[in-house]
Amino acid sequence: MSTPPLGRRGFLQGALGIGALAATGSLAACAPGGTATQPSKLAAPSASTSAAKGEITIWNRSGDLFKVFDAAIAKFRAAYPNVKVNHQAVDIDAKLANTLISGTDVPDGSFWDDAKIGGQAEHLFDLTDLIAPYKDQTSPYKLSVNTVDGKIYGVPWDLDPGLLWYREDILDSAGVDPASLATYDDLITAARTVKEKDPETRPIHLEKTPFLSQLWLEMLAGQQGTSLTDAQGKLRLDSEEYRRIFTWIQTAVKDDLVTHAPYLEPADVKSLDDGRQVFVPWAIWWSFAPQQLLKATKGKWRAAPLPAWTPGGARSGAMGGSSFVIPAKAKNPELAWLLYEFLCFKEPGYTAVYGPNDVYPGGLSTSIPSYIPAADPAKPLFQPIEALGGQDLWKVAVEAGATIPAATPIPWWWAQSVDYLGNNMQRLMEGKMSPDQVISESAEKIQRNLIDRS
Amino acid sequence: MRSTRLSPYLFIAPFFVVFAAFGIYPLIYALQLSFMRWRGAGAARWVGVDNYLYLLTSPDFWASLGNSAVMWVLIVPLQVVAGLGGAVLLANARLRLRGFFRVAFIAPFVTPLVAMAQVWIVVFDQDYGLINYLLNLAGLPDVAWLTSTTWSKPTLALLFLWKTTGFAIIILLAGLQAVPGGVYEAAALDGASRARQFWSITVPLVRRSMAFLVVIQTLAVFQMFAEPYVVTQGGPYGSTTTAGLYLYNHITASDLGTGAANSFLLVLLVFGLSLVSVRLLRPKDEVS
Repeated sequence: MSTPPLGRRGFLQGALGIGALAATGSLAACAPGGTATQPSKLAAPSASTSAAKGEITIWNRSGDLFKVFDAAIAKFRAAYPNVKVNHQAVDIDAKLANTLISGTDVPDGSFWDDAKIGGQAEHLFDLTDLIAPYKDQTSPYKLSVNTVDGKIYGVPWDLDPGLLWYREDILDSAGVDPASLATYDDLITAARTVKEKDPETRPIHLEKTPFLSQLWLEMLAGQQGTSLTDAQGKLRLDSEEYRRIFTWIQTAVKDDLVTHAPYLEPADVKSLDDGRQVFVPWAIWWSFAPQQLLKATKGKWRAAPLPAWTPGGARSGAMGGSSFVIPAKAKNPELAWLLYEFLCFKEPGYTAVYGPNDVYPGGLSTSIPSYIPAADPAKPLFQPIEALGGQDLWKVAVEAGATIPAATPIPWWWAQSVDYLGNNMQRLMEGKMSPDQVISESAEKIQRNLIDRS
Repeated sequence: MRSTRLSPYLFIAPFFVVFAAFGIYPLIYALQLSFMRWRGAGAARWVGVDNYLYLLTSPDFWASLGNSAVMWVLIVPLQVVAGLGGAVLLANARLRLRGFFRVAFIAPFVTPLVAMAQVWIVVFDQDYGLINYLLNLAGLPDVAWLTSTTWSKPTLALLFLWKTTGFAIIILLAGLQAVPGGVYEAAALDGASRARQFWSITVPLVRRSMAFLVVIQTLAVFQMFAEPYVVTQGGPYGSTTTAGLYLYNHITASDLGTGAANSFLLVLLVFGLSLVSVRLLRPKDEVS
């Protein structure tokens, strides 16, 4: 008779013992988060340009912009021949936060939305000292959204100023001078004039997707120097500035002056092309529409600074934008900094991205640099745009961008707040909510579900 | 001697090691996480049952469960009926083109869901979709299939039905083919009509398969994620934010503790629903 293996009871006891060990020892060792750590501060690289040596992995978005950065990185390598750049197209929104949290296969640097940076600052290098020499010459807005507790965590990249896109031919025939659109009240008056001439028009675009409508709202709020939260994270939705925006929207809706359509989806494109939409207050990246999407009205659109909310107020706000981050667990953070310094603050770098290139023969015209010396109205990086009737969009955009006030870091829960504020904005645009209801209901839910749980 | 005693355990050890690493450990880790507040950065804070209490008192959490419950009502009963009909049809040896129909019914099930969801977006587009085009041809007005709170859930339910009814047919067909042919012959000799045979033989004898189908589809409906994620992103106004999507929203917002608590609440709910389904659909002989 063979010796029986371990008895059933012995086996179960052993298994339970191992299980208990796993549940206590290993879990205690791997408790989420562990202890809080202070972000590391990245110092300036000590090596000279020619001595900088090594390999870095850089994450970027896929698509045309990746190709543009590829060409710019080739220029960087000409300046730093001993630095090899492993440039990868990655679904950053899906992967970067998880990678930072897990700490595995972390890139040396990555492109990232400004809205995401504040929430993950602890996983990023503090770049305050490195950016210090450029700080006074960088857009205050971009610096402020990259700053958490006085420390800068992102290398400010693009600035996306809001502009007023309008149909020049329709305004001409309605006798409206674009230069007269100095305030949002002027815009309502002009829309009424256009509609009187052609009752079929719904002149002003209002966004139908909750996320983009809230991003748009933040542009209009930022124009007035405010944002959803203050620097301490306190909600400030219940304010004169937000109430002013919501009341303006309500007026435009009540007067039947709006086309409520989702951003550049077929229904939107159709009403843009058939002349029902005349005014699109939107970010500079709307320039993509007349260049790529619109057919019948290509060449008839122009850009102007946004109207101001109060006479003499700022003529633009930012809508979106991205920066570069260097993860705290990067293997070669100094070399990543050299790359980003080259792209953002050195003329050959930012010129390679924004200037004429193989991908965009006229230059990249969907944003402008946030580094002020690069955004000189007299020294355009991208060329006048034929689809805008040859207008010098560069000059309009950089002059508008220069007026954008400083802001505060974007709270980590911003995207989640769309379920409340973005949705309620849609209700306002559909005439189902008043400005006060939008403010009170959104504020109550954001406070309860997002802020009090932080 | 000792090595002889241990060797069987060493042979089966790899499975247990892998299972412990990728099954047990993440489960315990997630359970621990559900009692903490952690956003992926900084120290995790022990909050006891706070995440559970938050969810159980959150109108959004209950709304997501309500959305899933409505989806269940729209999908599961209809799918059981349609699946049984399809299975009976395919089990009929005299059906012409039986092979073609089998492939046709199963094709949506093996087609990638995201691709089908994209097709749904195009077909049900309010302004340019095929369905509204056909409605217009018939003199009917446009319907906001994906952008109104009234129609968004039925439209997504239809996608789910289209995608998974082939699976239901397979399950019920397998159950149907296990019914001995002699039972039908005996019933026919006793003068039972086709309808009588269906209600008195087919339905009772495939009851176990139906119970299995209901449990599996209940699990699937309450975990439904890709359909609303791709087609409606949970909108309009959260009307298609299913329990699965609501859970995902916590995770993507790095609200990991709440997401973990949500997972366990969902597990409990689905477990309870499955038990109820099994009890309701178990054959009468088992009940006694």
